[in-house]
Amino acid sequence: MRWVTAKRLLFLVVLIAVTLAAMRATVPERTRLTPLGSKFRDVIEPVQTGLTWVGRQVHYLISFPVSMVGATARSQALEQEIERLESEIIQLNEYKMENQRLTGLLNYEQVMAQKFNLLTASVISRDSGKWFGTVTLNRGLKDGVKENMTVLTPEGLVGRVVSISASTCEVLLITDPNSGVSSLVQDTRTPGIVEGVDGRTVIARMIHIPNNDPVEVGQAVVTSGLGSIFPKGIPVGEIAGIRNEPSGLFLSAEIRPFANLNNLEEVFIVTFSQPETNSPRVGGQ
Amino acid sequence: MQLPFYLLLLGVVMIFQTTILDTVAIAGIKPDLVLLLVVLSGFLLGTREGAFLGFVGGIVEDLFSGSYIGINALSKMAAGYLAGAAGERLYRENIPIATGVTFFTSLAGLIVNYLLLLYLNIHVSPLYAFFRVALPTAAYTAVLAPFIFKRIFHYIQLRGRDL
Repeated sequence: MRWVTAKRLLFLVVLIAVTLAAMRATVPERTRLTPLGSKFRDVIEPVQTGLTWVGRQVHYLISFPVSMVGATARSQALEQEIERLESEIIQLNEYKMENQRLTGLLNYEQVMAQKFNLLTASVISRDSGKWFGTVTLNRGLKDGVKENMTVLTPEGLVGRVVSISASTCEVLLITDPNSGVSSLVQDTRTPGIVEGVDGRTVIARMIHIPNNDPVEVGQAVVTSGLGSIFPKGIPVGEIAGIRNEPSGLFLSAEIRPFANLNNLEEVFIVTFSQPETNSPRVGGQ
Repeated sequence: MQLPFYLLLLGVVMIFQTTILDTVAIAGIKPDLVLLLVVLSGFLLGTREGAFLGFVGGIVEDLFSGSYIGINALSKMAAGYLAGAAGERLYRENIPIATGVTFFTSLAGLIVNYLLLLYLNIHVSPLYAFFRVALPTAAYTAVLAPFIFKRIFHYIQLRGRDL
């Protein structure tokens, strides 16, 4: 073996031995480093730190344009996803509100079960004219709905059924000028007739209130049941204003209905009511 | 090939290796650009240069990773040496031959890498190591050889065999 070759071989062996030792010294799981390994790490630490820093910077510089590839498509996909989710949220809110409404109706139905037989109905359309306040419900003859049946919500009186088809019925709201509800002021038992002003406003009017009876703004008005197609004791609205009638014998009062007549969605139709002991009244029967 | 240029090239290659190469990974396998550079350089320059460039390339790579320093140095040194040995026996100016040499020497380097892992008491299933790591990586690396072989070849011709 020539001397040069021997030197090279020796160098190679030493190089491999040192490298193998370095490998052992830099095993990451080791909890304790050998003195040599520790020294080696200390020596290469600045180099590693520098390389890592450079690598990170360049990684960022190179990755950024690469990440831009397809960014438009991703952005569009995300926008579509956001729109879909927003739509879903709106739909879920709708379900939530519907659930709250139906829960309210169910509770009311359970409370009123002893007094009335109630049929739940949904408003499917509103009168498109300017003057009349009517809504159409999804219940009709096949559901046992009859003319003049009382329609209400848990908040208060809505109106009465005026026309019926096989599967729908039309309800005249208490704010319609053709509507008249025999009522009384709950606190003072003062009688009067609640009639509509026009179908588009949510205000009704209580007329024929004797002018010597004490009525005040804020008092509740309920159905009287006297000679009426409406059962007794259904909340109608509250007095919002009082004024004298032209004859001077009576007062009239503005009534703000308890039921939100502008936003009706689900209502009850009273198919049967227990007769009062002294004043039998049956909605539509 | 001058050493500063080679180190600069290594740095660039390594940055590519650790950045955009992830985007071309197939089933987690990506080509080893450092190995490709070492093998093709060794193939064109000879055993001594191949081993040296392999060792330098590997140690730089190890310093980048910060652990098991030397594992890539030795495995790439072996690959560079073998590529140099192949270059001394085969026709160097042929791309398919260079591609084949890249594949086999890369595979050898990766096997050395596996053996060094065993030395470090890191046990990987031999079948998994060969069929899921070494073989696909060598193949993927060799596929890239035709794209850069001519460039390295012309550069070395221009510069001469100075290292």
